[in-house]
Amino acid sequence: MEHEDAKTDDAGKAVNASIAIDSASLDDLREVPASMDAFLASIERRAWRMAEIHLGNREDALDAVQDAMLRLVRHYGEKPAEEWTPLFWGILRRRIVDLQRRRKVRSIVVGWLGGGKDDDGDDLPSWEPADDSPDPSARLQDSQAFTDIVAAVRNLPRRQREAFTLRIMEGLDVAETAAAMGCSDGSVKTHLSRAMHALRDQLEAWR
Amino acid sequence: MSQHDRELERRARDLYLRASRDVDPAVAGRLRAARRTALAQPAESPVRRLMLPAGAFAVLALATLMVWQPGVTPSAPPAVRQAADADPNDLPPDADVADPALYKDLQFYSWLAYNDTPSSSRK
Repeated sequence: MEHEDAKTDDAGKAVNASIAIDSASLDDLREVPASMDAFLASIERRAWRMAEIHLGNREDALDAVQDAMLRLVRHYGEKPAEEWTPLFWGILRRRIVDLQRRRKVRSIVVGWLGGGKDDDGDDLPSWEPADDSPDPSARLQDSQAFTDIVAAVRNLPRRQREAFTLRIMEGLDVAETAAAMGCSDGSVKTHLSRAMHALRDQLEAWR
Repeated sequence: MSQHDRELERRARDLYLRASRDVDPAVAGRLRAARRTALAQPAESPVRRLMLPAGAFAVLALATLMVWQPGVTPSAPPAVRQAADADPNDLPPDADVADPALYKDLQFYSWLAYNDTPSSSRK
């Protein structure tokens, strides 16, 4: 719920204050891009992976990233380069939410129209074509670990999932995460604290 | 925050970054194409950004003016005013004021009417 954004949580502050950022990997992400082309080139793969984590579909993720790129260039190309990062993630986040809502509505409509069942009463395939391309995580050395973390993240409520992916995975600071999520810094900390609590339980095997 | 939490965060981030680097070539190619498409489009100019609200305001102002016209008091239509000005007992136009050609025509029409009468009546 959005109105939860107003709440703050002391536990969240503790979590965020002690987040250990891998400086080596994040330094690359923090560089101010020289051009819009360089910025998009540096972010496009992570953006697609982020969208895929949230949407669970490669084609939808590509659509979301392409749309976010178009909107960033069209509407915010004149903004200073330092502002592009939170702007881009904010646009992508809204696009992901739009796609999730559209998918939900379409599923409801298909259900109303009597779809979703075959003659024997078994469930038909989903309204969208199955994603039968090779599992991208199979290319990873730690494919099972990545699959585990993605599955755990997908089980989180939407706002917690957004806070975790933007703040922890993407490495945005609290203010940038808040800008991308359209909420206050305190809300980010609250959502993140709850996300960490849930993930701690789900990823017990990582201990 | 425990050591376990820090480890969880570090590992999640590492896996995410590695997965992003290892995107398969087909997806990478489509992402490059999407980037080129995005960069090829012209940026929206500030003037164009203002056109939509300005157009909406103009339409609203026009509609308001059509509904409400300040300074114009309700009055009868011109045709009604003309009818009201006319005296029902008006005589035909004054000869001094009227067009002389009208009277020439009147003489011609009366001559014509006279000559068109049946010959029996003149006999």
